[in-house]
Amino acid sequence: MKRFLNNIILPVILGLASCSAPSDEVVVYTSVDQVFSEPVLKDFEKETGIRVRAVYDTEETKSTGVMNRLIAEKNNPQCDVFWSGDPVRNGVLLSKGITEPYQSKQTLLIPEHFREKDNHWIGFSARARVLIYNKNLIAADSLPQSIFDFTDPAYKGQFAIANPLFGTTTFHIAALFMKLGDEKAKQWMNNMKANDAVIAASNGDVKKRVMNGELAFGLTDTDDAFEAKKESDNVDYIFLDQQKSSIGTLIMPNAVSLIKNSRNAENGKQLIDYLLSRETEVKLAVSCAQMPLIKGTPVPENVPSLDKIKAMKIDYDKTSNKLEEIQPWLKQWAEK
Amino acid sequence: MGRKIVRHIIRVVPSLLLFLLLGLPLIVLLLQWLGGAERSVLLSFMNRETLLLVGKSLLMACSAALLATFTGTVCAFILYKLRFAFTGIYKLALLLPLLISPYIFAVAWKDGFFWLFGNNAAIYSEVGVILIHTLVFFPLAMLIMGSALSRIDASYEEAGLMVIPFGKMLVKIVLPLIRPALTISFLLILIFSLSDFSVPAFFGERTFTTEIFTQFSALYNFPLAIGQSVLLLFVCLLLMLAETRYLSDAPFFSVSVKGSGSKKYKMRNWQVFLHGLLWLLLILVLLMPVLMLVIQSLSGKALFFSEAWMLMRSAALQSVKLALWSTLLLTSVGLWMAYIKERLGNRLPNLLLLLTFIVPSTVLGIALIKYYNLPVVNFVYGTTAILLLAYLGKFGFIASRIIGNGIRQIPVSLEEAALVMGIPSWKIFVKINLPLLFPSLFAAFVLSFILSLGELGVTMLVYPPGTEQMPMKIFTISANAPQALTSSMTLISLAVTVFFIGVFFLCGKILFKKFRYA
Repeated sequence: MKRFLNNIILPVILGLASCSAPSDEVVVYTSVDQVFSEPVLKDFEKETGIRVRAVYDTEETKSTGVMNRLIAEKNNPQCDVFWSGDPVRNGVLLSKGITEPYQSKQTLLIPEHFREKDNHWIGFSARARVLIYNKNLIAADSLPQSIFDFTDPAYKGQFAIANPLFGTTTFHIAALFMKLGDEKAKQWMNNMKANDAVIAASNGDVKKRVMNGELAFGLTDTDDAFEAKKESDNVDYIFLDQQKSSIGTLIMPNAVSLIKNSRNAENGKQLIDYLLSRETEVKLAVSCAQMPLIKGTPVPENVPSLDKIKAMKIDYDKTSNKLEEIQPWLKQWAEK
Repeated sequence: MGRKIVRHIIRVVPSLLLFLLLGLPLIVLLLQWLGGAERSVLLSFMNRETLLLVGKSLLMACSAALLATFTGTVCAFILYKLRFAFTGIYKLALLLPLLISPYIFAVAWKDGFFWLFGNNAAIYSEVGVILIHTLVFFPLAMLIMGSALSRIDASYEEAGLMVIPFGKMLVKIVLPLIRPALTISFLLILIFSLSDFSVPAFFGERTFTTEIFTQFSALYNFPLAIGQSVLLLFVCLLLMLAETRYLSDAPFFSVSVKGSGSKKYKMRNWQVFLHGLLWLLLILVLLMPVLMLVIQSLSGKALFFSEAWMLMRSAALQSVKLALWSTLLLTSVGLWMAYIKERLGNRLPNLLLLLTFIVPSTVLGIALIKYYNLPVVNFVYGTTAILLLAYLGKFGFIASRIIGNGIRQIPVSLEEAALVMGIPSWKIFVKINLPLLFPSLFAAFVLSFILSLGELGVTMLVYPPGTEQMPMKIFTISANAPQALTSSMTLISLAVTVFFIGVFFLCGKILFKKFRYA
């Protein structure tokens, strides 16, 4: 009987009680690859004593787990903080009324350009889109220098991009639609397809195919390229569109949001401040070559500095909206 | 009078409980979908393009199911009906592909193709998807067909062989006798293949399941995705109902034969050919993917096994604990449901388990979130209890059918004789039924453990924050970790599963001896 009380009744009562009692924990859902996000969250736990309960997912498989959870849990949120690898998903949550604005001294350190206007999401540590290539299959001086060179018949069937419906590729394409206008962007995509572009399952798949020597080059993110370089000496990467008249390369910050009506909002705010700190940016620069957004943050030598890259100038919120608008067309394009 | 009430409670309570725990979440989701979406959205999936996609997906799944059932039947015939060396080892080895996830299979085969031929374009096609599904799912067919072939009474075959040649006897006697098992094998593999997202997505093949996934994860169009899921569910249910006779009564996954002996044939001149054939299959379904994983795990700049183990240790421990609890739950509920179906004639709970079995994982996950994510039941939603419920929904049907077939093999006369002697029902159940059911319970236990340990689709949606599950850990780490680390983690996960299966079989051997009269 005692065992029954201990094992069944007490947990039920404690469970019910925990619904309203404040706790020394924070629940974070993240689509940033666990291999990079977990150490940061563990450090936060050590430094603050606040227990972090995380749900991990990955852009690689479209963040389905956390995004669908957040949307389905809207009326009784379990999550306090959502940490995403790019602002698109935070934009979707904002449009569904799931996030809450948050501003602190720490958020003000982040350049305005990388924050939502009401601080529904705040950016930090950014990745960029790069061209990864296999040195055995293509010489550095033969590489395309612009994303628009992907339609050049000289590269026919030699390169891959990830499915534009998912991950950072979708954001990249939306940014190009913003820059070029719908008509020109659609034409470029159709020409690229006519040039036998391989549509890979994900950025990780692009990386693996180039590393294995299946394809000469492909479009991916800096963290994938950084990992590929660590794994193989045959791989390197370059930034595209760096010439004076070019459009520049897309920069994608991580984005963090406070969830509306969350149970541990105060702890959530502490975690957000921690993620937006210089220390976290340094950690992410070391672990996955992410570029700090806070000016003056020291970075390792092999990590590119944002100051030295020509960035594509875009409005992240408008690009998120554009993304929703072009998704049906992208779906048709990918399935054609 | 008292006995009647007890029987009534045993009949009604499980139906009610299952309905409240698993049926109602799906109904609530369906009602929300019907009530929330506009009529145009509700019907927007009913167009020519969608129907063509359903047709294409069905065709691919049918091809995989046909090939897998054929391969499984050939293997089962060789291993269960022919007398030659090492059949036990072959049986066990050919079951191991069930422990490898279809996605890992796809990656290994793609890399294998490139490694062998320098080009893997051919595998990025419908043929690639069908090939992988055939290789992954044929062990299921082998299990089912092996069980059916073992149940054929030797006297039928012997009588046939007296008047007709061997080949004709196979066609005229054996084939009709195993037809229900062939049907259930085909249908189960068809449903598994139809609902798998990972392989077609990896090979860039558009199927109805990838379409549903795209609606959920790229467009966040819940109404359309749920509508499409309802259509998929309808297709699966239609198939199932069309064959309901077979599904309910087919002898699938029976693990022992009571009261009959199966005939085995000697094939002296064919020994080398048969060993060659089985080895070829072993290379294709086991050695090739495992070899690719080993090569990949050794191909990094450093050895990652120790790092992989450090990453996996906690998740492996938590997963094994959860899988054991889930296995106990599935076996107990499976026994209960099977008993009330076979002995009390109540089919409803089994139909409900069939429904939750064929619902796409994403839909089941979202239904559970919407139903259980309330402050008052947070002790379910915020804990691993939600995962136990999810696994019950995903695999309860399989456990129930394995045990149900065991129950059907026990002659009712045994229970009737005990009843006449005035022995109480519970004592009859404990002293007669349970010992006789031991092999079926054991098979349900092992299969439930394997399935629970590897489940990813619903786990991804409902696993409680702060906990770690082995498939989730591999899934999230593999996104950006070196290939050598990911492959090392997969090999460790495989080793953990094989280790526990080995332990279960050792325990089973001891217990089988104890209950040998069963």
